[in-house]
Amino acid sequence: MMNGGGGQKKRGTRIEPFRHRVETDPKFFDKSWRKLHDAIREIYNHNASGLSFEELYRTAYNMVLNKFAPQLYEKLTENMKEHLEDMRTCIDAAQGGLFLEELQRKWNDHNKALTMIRDILMYMDRTYIPTNKKTPVFDHGLELWRDTIVRSPTIQSRLSDMLLELIHSERTGEVINRGLMRTTTKMLMDLGLSVYQDDFERPFLEVSASFYSGESQQFIECCACGEYLKQAERRLSEESERVSQYLDVKTHEKITTVVVNEMLANHMQRLILMENSGLVNMLVEDRYEDLTRMYTLFNHVPDGLTTIRSVMASHIKDTGKSLVTDPERLKDPVDFVQRLLNMKDKYDNIINVSFSNDKSFLNALNSSFEHFINLNNRSPEFISLFVDDKLRKGVKEANEEDLETVLDKVMMLFRYLQEKDLFEKYYKQHLAKRLISGRAASDDSERSMLVKLKTECGYQFTSKLEGMFTDLKTSEDTTQGFYASTSSELLADAPTISVQILTTGSWPTQTCNTCNLPPEIVSVSEKFRAYYLGTHNGRRLTWQTNMGHADIKATFGNGSKHELNVSTYQMCVLMLFNSSDVLTYREIAQSTAIPAADLKRCLQSLALVKGKQVLRKEPMSRDIADDDSFFVNDKFTSKLFKVKIGTVAAQKETDPEKLETRQRVEEDRKPQIEAAIVRIMKSRRVLDHNSIMMEVTKQLQPRFMPNPVVIKKRIESLIEREFLERDKTDRKMYRYLA
Amino acid sequence: MCTPAAGRGRVHLNVGGRVFETTAATLACAGRDTMLDTSWNASHDDAAGGGGGAAAEYFIDRDPACFAVLLDLLRTGGLHVPPGVPEATLYREALYYGLLDRVRAARLGDFDGDRLRLSASVPGRAPGDGTAVRAAPDGGCCVAHGGAVRVYNWMLDERRPVYYPGHAPVNDAAYLDAATLLVAARERPGRRGDDGGVAAFSALTGGLRHRFRVAHDRQPRSFTAGALAVDDGGGCRVFASCKGRFNEYGIGVWDANTGEQADFFYEPPGCALGDADRLQWLDGTSTLMVTTMFPRTDSSFISLLDFRDKSVVWSWSDVGTPASLEDKHAVHAVVMEDGRSVCVINQYENLGFLDLRSSAGGVRWRSRSKLATGGKTKALISEEVCYPKLATYGGQLFASTGDTVSVFSGPDHVLTSTLRGSQGGAICDFSIGGDRLFALHSEENVFDVWETPPPAII
Repeated sequence: MMNGGGGQKKRGTRIEPFRHRVETDPKFFDKSWRKLHDAIREIYNHNASGLSFEELYRTAYNMVLNKFAPQLYEKLTENMKEHLEDMRTCIDAAQGGLFLEELQRKWNDHNKALTMIRDILMYMDRTYIPTNKKTPVFDHGLELWRDTIVRSPTIQSRLSDMLLELIHSERTGEVINRGLMRTTTKMLMDLGLSVYQDDFERPFLEVSASFYSGESQQFIECCACGEYLKQAERRLSEESERVSQYLDVKTHEKITTVVVNEMLANHMQRLILMENSGLVNMLVEDRYEDLTRMYTLFNHVPDGLTTIRSVMASHIKDTGKSLVTDPERLKDPVDFVQRLLNMKDKYDNIINVSFSNDKSFLNALNSSFEHFINLNNRSPEFISLFVDDKLRKGVKEANEEDLETVLDKVMMLFRYLQEKDLFEKYYKQHLAKRLISGRAASDDSERSMLVKLKTECGYQFTSKLEGMFTDLKTSEDTTQGFYASTSSELLADAPTISVQILTTGSWPTQTCNTCNLPPEIVSVSEKFRAYYLGTHNGRRLTWQTNMGHADIKATFGNGSKHELNVSTYQMCVLMLFNSSDVLTYREIAQSTAIPAADLKRCLQSLALVKGKQVLRKEPMSRDIADDDSFFVNDKFTSKLFKVKIGTVAAQKETDPEKLETRQRVEEDRKPQIEAAIVRIMKSRRVLDHNSIMMEVTKQLQPRFMPNPVVIKKRIESLIEREFLERDKTDRKMYRYLA
Repeated sequence: MCTPAAGRGRVHLNVGGRVFETTAATLACAGRDTMLDTSWNASHDDAAGGGGGAAAEYFIDRDPACFAVLLDLLRTGGLHVPPGVPEATLYREALYYGLLDRVRAARLGDFDGDRLRLSASVPGRAPGDGTAVRAAPDGGCCVAHGGAVRVYNWMLDERRPVYYPGHAPVNDAAYLDAATLLVAARERPGRRGDDGGVAAFSALTGGLRHRFRVAHDRQPRSFTAGALAVDDGGGCRVFASCKGRFNEYGIGVWDANTGEQADFFYEPPGCALGDADRLQWLDGTSTLMVTTMFPRTDSSFISLLDFRDKSVVWSWSDVGTPASLEDKHAVHAVVMEDGRSVCVINQYENLGFLDLRSSAGGVRWRSRSKLATGGKTKALISEEVCYPKLATYGGQLFASTGDTVSVFSGPDHVLTSTLRGSQGGAICDFSIGGDRLFALHSEENVFDVWETPPPAII
């Protein structure tokens, strides 16, 4: 109550100052603003050192406190605009190259002044601006600079023209002031990304596009592909250097796109397919550097790598096709496969070195090889022959490690084969030959090849091949056992025999008529038979005389002694000459009972091979007629004590043999297809025709590509045998009969 | 620590007649963009200092007592306000020097539920109808009641209140950031068209920023928005439980910045989503927990939604559980911070846990049944229905029961503190944020502010 009373008393004096303040209000603003206005002028005139920051700050603070912030903001805008107009006239007046420098100088001045003004008006920045969603003083200053100077009609086009002109002259090889460029573009970036993009970047990209489109036209007319790509690479690196020197980082991607588009994408087909220097030539000539360049450059182009890949793939297919179908090449299987391997190596290298081991390129390479290797249906045979050749000679030529790598490469080719079962067949034959004739160079290499096949195709594929190895091992033991158990007197003067017992089924044996062995051999072999059948119950022993070989000691008429390494057939023939000097073909055939073709071949090798003519033939012709007679060649000489008489045997299959093998393979496939069908039907019970086809193909694909016609036949046969039946309503459906 | 007393770097400041001597380095502690460390000063020094030997003296026409406090803050990092300095004056001076953020940081210690101290009780305007209190990230808060949201800054000065257009009753509020407030409002029956829904307001001025609208089949529809949640993990999305006029129930999803509707998760059968009274965004699994609780519905329902493939990844309901004698219902739920379990509380203040990793399990109720509350508050509950609420913060679990907040710590959630403040009746809501805990009492509509004092000096 006391206080209230006092207040009433002083009411008159209280109103007085209040009215007084109202009167001074407009003056207060003007006065305060004048102070700030003068200060700002001094700041722009580089005279800031005489100003009291604290006083100015407090002035601005008071203005904001008295709710003059909107007016203050407005006045400030107006004032800054005036200063900027002055600056613009200065900049406009600058001539030629000085223009950018002047602009730069003014920009620095404005920036410095703006910092100081911001500091003075900091209180407004903190309080008035966030609540009223205005632009802060500093950013506002930048906006004003943008609108009055950079975007002014006189300066805007002049600035961008100037920048673009400088860049153009740098592109044509002149040296420009990069520092000035950097500061100018920095200014545009400071004004906001949109200013940089609209006022500089967009025209820059347009100008660049037309520049490079012109240049690329010029180059492509006169340059080879490699040369052109070098040029493009140089331009790209120049542009990225330019960006790092004086442009915004974000421009990098855009300018790269422009250059790539103009120089590469637009000419992609022409460059890649360029005659005499395009991709194909680079591949042929192994130009790794050019290829690397092409790969890295076209990596930027959409579809670039796809195009390169498809061109490469079709080139590989073409060359591969001409290789595998060239009749010249078919004469030498080893060379044929070697060429394939070389080609594979070549492209592996290219992809590794130049295409950065790109998976998609490797896939393209693989599918191309797969395509053309299977164009020649003798590829499986040739590959097996190649392995045969390597494993036979292996250690003689190279050490085991090299052999390993060769075998690994061959496995690559093997993977491309569709008819893997055909390969298996041949491989089995060749392996059998190697094993029986003891010409396998290295047991380790043989086994490692076996392991490779096993990992590739599974246990089933190699189980028989492994059986062959075990057979040999047990045969050795059996032979030893035979000699150990039989008293030495019984065999005193009999020839030593070594028997290899081959399990039927594991080996590619042909049933052949046993020839008549010489009596010496017959006695020993009968003893062995007795021994073997005595130790193994319920087995049958057949002699495969066509596969054996023998070492015989021969004393010729001229007294020279030699040890002859011959086949069993040859031995039988030669043993006949122990009892007679002359024998006609007919006589030999009668007493040995060797099949005619084999006998002829074996006689040819004994009588007609140069340097190894153990027999003499009358008449001396190549072909053997029934009445031809044979003598022991008494004049036989050889530098070596041991003479190996080869068989004139075609390594490669002759046509009828080929047909036979093929037939056998087809025959073998039948049960496999049937097994697959039954397996599938057993689990699915009911399935339509197309699905069966698909499933069977899928299951058998790792081994061979089953022929749809054959599958159909097998299905028919299974229906006949009542494994399956057709659905009564839907003829396309099959039903499994348990 | 101290530089040798060379003249270089030393500054004399004459503030309102009192001379302070300090170093430029101390003033630089204020940070850029403050009045005490401006580039202006640097350039001024360059121009005036010249010789470099003589220490420059500046005059500042401000209150020296407050400046002493602020200089002490810059020197030590601690805020000590002597009794003679009113806080409001100090804050004003701090704003003048641009140090207000630093003062706030020094004023509020790191939040620790066990060291909370009641720092203020702010009386409300309209007693009895407060529905929610929400803490702002900067230490301020807002209280929703009736058709208004009262907004307080961190100095607990009231700002301009936020009104939902048409003064629609407010269901929930949430801070998008310190300057943006989201409000969910109820649609009132009988009104046509634009009523209820979600809107964003400026927390500083109370102005409407934008509305979040819902369209079904491209037809804009009005709806009642229940609970709100914000995906603050970078998705910048706003979620709200929505009840449309034409039975479009579900969870609406909007882009926080533009207000565009981004998605709508229609309520699948058996999931009460539109009625949900609590949403919680789980950053770790990018899922949203939706809880619809007793007594709003007859049974409680909790689910976790994944918006990427629009699926309910986990759910729990007590609908099938046999009614026990006590008739326990989970009334509030919170996902624990490890994201592996949900803590629930029932109307008898029992805590229970649900395992989020398995879908089958039921609630494991804690054996120690009742929380420590006095008999007096028991009486209060029977008069005023304020169901318990839960929150987690910094590894601690908070539960409001009656007029107290209990703090549980450690992996086994042992009761470590109880907070009891004003005699304002039971706590109807509480919220933790910006290093503060706000508890809204239902009866007097007063809210208590709890904060952690800065750690002891030694």
